[in-house]
Amino acid sequence: MTRVPRGYIARRRRTKMRSFASNFRGAHLRLNRMIIQQVRRAFVSSHRDRGRQKRDFRRLWITRINAATRVYNVFDSYSKLIHNLYKKELILNRKMLAQVAVSNPNNLYTISNKIKTID
Amino acid sequence: MQKALAGLRRINLDGLRWRVFDAKGQVLGRLASQIAVVLQGKDKPTYAPHVENGDMCIVLNAKDISVTGRKMTDKIYYWHTGYIGHLKERRLKDQMEKDPTEVIRKAVLLMLPRNRLRDDRDRKLRIFSGNEHPFHDRLVEPFAMPPRQVREMRPRARRALIRAQKKEQATRTKEEGVKTEECHIRDLWIETL
Repeated sequence: MTRVPRGYIARRRRTKMRSFASNFRGAHLRLNRMIIQQVRRAFVSSHRDRGRQKRDFRRLWITRINAATRVYNVFDSYSKLIHNLYKKELILNRKMLAQVAVSNPNNLYTISNKIKTID
Repeated sequence: MQKALAGLRRINLDGLRWRVFDAKGQVLGRLASQIAVVLQGKDKPTYAPHVENGDMCIVLNAKDISVTGRKMTDKIYYWHTGYIGHLKERRLKDQMEKDPTEVIRKAVLLMLPRNRLRDDRDRKLRIFSGNEHPFHDRLVEPFAMPPRQVREMRPRARRALIRAQKKEQATRTKEEGVKTEECHIRDLWIETL
């Protein structure tokens, strides 16, 4: 039988994967079999963590808002601030609140004056 | 004292406050949770979980820490040395005699998240048994603990307390020979007879 090399199909598939692994460490960016595994894991992590990213940032904003309300004596705690915000139907989300708290604390007082209930 | 100044070079100290906690009469766990919050930097609006930005915490009067219930005699610290059968234990009372600062340090360390920043946070925590600390040249500010919400006494315990108080009062008046009100009223009544 004549010699039949397998062609470029597999090689093309593997070089496509290689581009994703260009910043991996050691053998993980050089050896094809390892590249396939590691790139697969990387894609899985990326997909899962895109969902987690939303959760993580919300946690961070909440922690920061909590600290800011206590430091600037706006309210006793994050829970009271959010409760009053909802009661007054102010649609500020936590991302904006956290940004305000960090960069411009005076505006935090403005917001709190709007929502402080009399009782 | 030398140990208290150890490792200060490793901490990036600019912008950090030095907070002083007085442990005299404070409940162990409640104080430890406040310290842990301050140590992590969670009371600052610029908190970030990957950056170590907590304040330096100095704890004084560690030997005057208090615990509720029978924990002084009944709380046991267990640890295993790794050799089979070698589960060691030590009671809180003995630990306080041996080294009272370890009690607070253990409580606080176990309240911090177990990650790579934990060692740096441990370095920021300085505990002293007595009232003196060697950091007088720095700007230290005392930390105001939130007021303690003491639970109302349970009825049975309150009745027992009242009984004990009454008994103590009775023995005291008997010793002093002072007339109690009932004795006085009784004497008045006897006179009318």
